[in-house]
Formats: sequence, structure tokens, C-alpha cells
Amino acid sequence: MAERVMAEAVFDDLIHPSTRLSIVALLASADWADFAFVRDRLGLSDSALSKQFATLEDAGYVHIERPVTQHRRRVRVRLTDTGRRAFVGHVAALQEVISTAKLGARSD
Amino acid sequence: MNGQVSESEARLALDAVEARRQQVAAEIDVPGWYWWSVAAGWVVLGALATFAPVWASAVGTVGFGALHAAVAPRVISGRRGSSRLSVRRDLVSRRVPFLVLGFLVAMVALTTAIALVLDADAARHPALLASGIVAALVVTGGPLLMSWVRRRAVRRLSA
Repeated sequence: MAERVMAEAVFDDLIHPSTRLSIVALLASADWADFAFVRDRLGLSDSALSKQFATLEDAGYVHIERPVTQHRRRVRVRLTDTGRRAFVGHVAALQEVISTAKLGARSD
Repeated sequence: MNGQVSESEARLALDAVEARRQQVAAEIDVPGWYWWSVAAGWVVLGALATFAPVWASAVGTVGFGALHAAVAPRVISGRRGSSRLSVRRDLVSRRVPFLVLGFLVAMVALTTAIALVLDADAARHPALLASGIVAALVVTGGPLLMSWVRRRAVRRLSA
């Protein structure tokens, strides 16, 4: 991964479910993203995505902003530093699983 | 280390992460209005060079350059192609602004070359015709250039 954030390899149960992993991975590649962008890319309903964001926000992983631009209310979501560290740590943990399995296969 | 996921599950998860990164990389772009504005400026400068006195053409060129210098740094990084997201810096090549500026410099050279050829051919308004032709190339070539940049970024991620 090209992430600059350094984090220990820690498996994160909150991030791992596929929908949340996709949301966090998408946000990890962006400074911020519109709610609609994430919804469209993941093919989720508004309510399903809101629920996932609420879980991630409660954990302090995402920050939700509601700026008003051109008289339109928008919802922007960004990954917090805590969220980014958790994501990088989770990816490192997944990579560790693979490298450990490879080592195990070689030693057999 | 954790024993909660199998190797295949970890691979699937990492593949999903890469797929999402590629989706964001596919958003690298320069807004369409930038190319249209540059093209419009090109035609205006061509018209000034054709119909206005030299001083007006010089003022127009300097003004266009100053306006571009003020706006371009925020636009040509490729990170804000749409208003729906801002792509992270580490996903976009630092060379994108130089590519865009290089493209515009090449277009300036092409405008001059076309104008000289048209002038040698005794065309009535060589500067205006040349700027019109190049403005069309800016509007079509700019997005093509960014599409190439996007393809490279996605390829780099999947390598």
C-alpha cells in the first residue's frame, strides 16, 4: 500500500466486514468524498450507507461534514486520523495473514 | 497476527481494497470547464491579434497568463476533477500539472506554426484561424490527456 500513515498490523473487526472495508478503502484514497459518490460506487441505498457511516462515526473513524454550497446541502465524509491508522493497520494485518500462510506452505 | 481470517479471505479483502483505490484513481481529472475556458481564451487572443492594436493584444496575453496562473494551480493537479471528491495526493502523479502545462506550451507552438503556414498561404486571418483550430484541439486533447493519466494511475495501482 502507498499509505504514508504508519500503523502496527492490527486486525480491525469493525472495518473488516466487506461493506465497511469498501467504504473505508474508498475514503482512504480520498481527502474527502461526497455521500452520493460513496453510495453510487458501492451501490448501496441511502439508509444502508447512513447506517454504516453512523457505526464508523461512533468509532471515531470518519468525520461527517454538511457544508452548504450553492444553496444545496451536501454531505461530505472524510476518514479521521484514527480511521486511517486503523485501516492501514488492518491492511497490514491482512498482508501478514497472507505472508504467514506463504511461509507455512514453504516449510511444509 | 490474527487467526480470524483465512489466507483466501485476506486475499479477497485486499483485492477489494485495491479495487476501491482504482475506483478513486479513475476519478483523477481536470474539470471540463478548465479546457473550455482555456479554449475560449485562445480564440479571444486570436481575435485580438487579428483585429485589435498590438498593445491590446499584449495586454490580453498578459491578462490571460495572469488569470491562468491564478486559477490553474488549484485545478490542474488532477485531484479535483469533480465536485464529488478530492483524490489523495499519493494517488496522483506529481507530474500531472507539468503534463498539462507542457500540453499548453505545445499548443502555443502549434498555434504559431499553423498561423505562419496560413499566413504564407495568404489566408485572410491566420492568427484567428490558427487559434480556432488549436482551441478545438485543446477541448478534445485535454480530456484525452487526462484519460491517459487516469489509465496510467490505475495501471500503476494494479501492477
